[in-house]
Amino acid sequence: MKPESADNIMRRTILSSMILIPIIPFILVIFIGYFYSKIAIENRTVESMQRIVEDHRQMIDTFLRERRTNLEFIINTHAFEDLNTSRSIEFVYHNLRTISNAFVDLGVFDEDGLHVAYHGPYQLEGKVYKKEPWFKEVMETGVHISDVFLGFRDYPHFIIAVKKTENSRTWVLRATIDTHIFNTMVGRIRIGDTGEAYIINRDGVFQTQPRTGGNLLETDPSRLKYLKHHDGIATYTSLRDYGWFGGLSTPVHDDYLVATVWLKEKPWLLVARQEKRDAFSGLRAVMYMIISIAAIGSATIVLVAFNQTGRLLQRIKDVSGEKAHLENQLIHATRLAELGQMAAGFAHEINNPLQIIRSEQALMDFILTEMKEKKEITNDQSIEELEDSMHQMIVQIERCSGITQAILKFGRHTEPQIEDIELKDFIPEIAGTISNKASVHGISVKQLIDEETPMVRGDKGQLQQVLINLFNNAIDTIVDRHGSHGGKLSISAKAAGDKWVDIAVQDNGTGISPESMEKIFSPFFTTKPPGKGTGLGLSVCFGIVEGLGGKMDVSSQVGRGTTFTVRLPAATA
Amino acid sequence: MKLLIVDDEERFLHSTQKLLNRKGYDVETAPSGEKCLEILGEKAIDVVILDVKMPGIGGMETLRRIKREQPMTEVIMLTGHGTAEYAVDALLRGAADFLVKPVSIPELIEKVEAAMARRMVLEEKIRAAKALKAAEAGLSTQSSDPAGPEETITNTANSGKKQ
Repeated sequence: MKPESADNIMRRTILSSMILIPIIPFILVIFIGYFYSKIAIENRTVESMQRIVEDHRQMIDTFLRERRTNLEFIINTHAFEDLNTSRSIEFVYHNLRTISNAFVDLGVFDEDGLHVAYHGPYQLEGKVYKKEPWFKEVMETGVHISDVFLGFRDYPHFIIAVKKTENSRTWVLRATIDTHIFNTMVGRIRIGDTGEAYIINRDGVFQTQPRTGGNLLETDPSRLKYLKHHDGIATYTSLRDYGWFGGLSTPVHDDYLVATVWLKEKPWLLVARQEKRDAFSGLRAVMYMIISIAAIGSATIVLVAFNQTGRLLQRIKDVSGEKAHLENQLIHATRLAELGQMAAGFAHEINNPLQIIRSEQALMDFILTEMKEKKEITNDQSIEELEDSMHQMIVQIERCSGITQAILKFGRHTEPQIEDIELKDFIPEIAGTISNKASVHGISVKQLIDEETPMVRGDKGQLQQVLINLFNNAIDTIVDRHGSHGGKLSISAKAAGDKWVDIAVQDNGTGISPESMEKIFSPFFTTKPPGKGTGLGLSVCFGIVEGLGGKMDVSSQVGRGTTFTVRLPAATA
Repeated sequence: MKLLIVDDEERFLHSTQKLLNRKGYDVETAPSGEKCLEILGEKAIDVVILDVKMPGIGGMETLRRIKREQPMTEVIMLTGHGTAEYAVDALLRGAADFLVKPVSIPELIEKVEAAMARRMVLEEKIRAAKALKAAEAGLSTQSSDPAGPEETITNTANSGKKQ
């Protein structure tokens, strides 16, 4: 599996849990909130509709009852003879008008339906109503309130008629009610923008002029379903009728919240209705608010999740990078230690044959000298060449010996003598030992020891070895680049955080190529010409610094110079 | 002066013996610590050149036994394992010097001569002390102990000159 895809899987896992875990309860809360506010708003809306319809029913019933009792009062306080003339009825009519101007006319009928007296805008005296349904009903039940009709007058009106029987005489008093006044009274009922009220009779015929959807005295078959007889107030609404979201997505204009109630005075149905869109507009506002909260909340959760996941991953990446770096260092250090041991064993074994070669060489040299003295060989040139060769053997043995000594030093595991070292004193002391060599090569040596540099824990001898090695390397590389002019070497020391002290040796020498950087601390790696360096100096330094619990690092740029940094544990005060 | 070189490298013994013989030294060789002690029991040896790492009893144990049995015998340690710990240990156990292979033959001879000189100084002091003691006791019996080695030395020096 590629590390990248593993990264992606981790990213997805973290991201999805960071989004899902807060968003599920969040959405749940939102839905519960919506659900309950919906119920509350619905109930409130329906209740207010019911209250309105009930209030108006009472008002209309009161109106009808008052008109009826007006007539009953007249008929009960007068005898037929008092009212059977135009003059007397006119007098009563005018009194009646002072009570309610809804009365349009007033008339008196005898038991045969003959209109004996009348006052009003028409000439109706002398007409016989015996066969009219209203007359029949009033004769039967004693009181009659008619539906609205056009009648002889071709003008919408309804009548109230009452009957009286005294001294074996029966007579009827009838009044016409101005539909316009009645209509205005019912039509005044306004609810919201689209709410309205109207009255229909038992056959579904409009008794008042509805604001929408029909005309007076017409029948709207769609409203017939309301006509089923019921007690109290009936409401017609359901979730399905206006949808879960309050008709948010599809504005329905002809879907209504309806409340109906039967009048008590007359089998008329008072219908109040309001477009659900309008009635439940509060619900829509809540819905908008909830959608906004959900959107903003979700967006926030997602944004935060992305942000945090990014940070978390970066942190994980940093830590694993650090871990990998430490592992590398550890492997490197282990490998160095193993190499050291192997090299030490190797050096020991090489020393024995070297000793033999040395003995053999000495023997050969001795014999050659003897032969020369005894004149057994006389060719001077050959002798010279042989002697040169002998000398070379010594030189090369010395060289091998130098290498093995260095290896043995490298592989040696002596316990360091740990003590607190004051760098302000120690570094100038060490720098003093190389100042001669530096000035010979025209190198200016700068010491930048911070006044606040704490003491370090280490072994003086080992630290000296490390620093001298670094100084010598620096001088060599400076000489390579600058000859005997313009070299700069600086030694600095300062605290690195609370626990560490950095000692840096910086030169302006040739610098180290990136390929060499990788192997810089490996044993036997050297850029010096053969015979000049063993390639062990820096690896010994590295081993020492690791052994002291520190870290050694290098940064370099070809053509600009190199900085070696030795990080040692600060002495605990 | 009689030398004994102890090393498990036969060729080293062979060529060094030949070289030192030519230079006028009487050289015995032993390939092991056990053989070294055996020879020391039979012959009078002035200086032992002793390898540290050998099969059998190693150089350090051999040194300990030599110093126990013949404290006057000078021992120069010669080893490929040139560590400071070994060197300090050997010197504490009475070794005259501690050399790390490969050592040059002139240096080796120099160290041998130095050890020899030291031994002679020591013997001179012992003899003087004994002579003083004898004079005090009024006894004229010249002990054969110090005379023996002195004669040997003289002989060796003479034979070297002769060759």
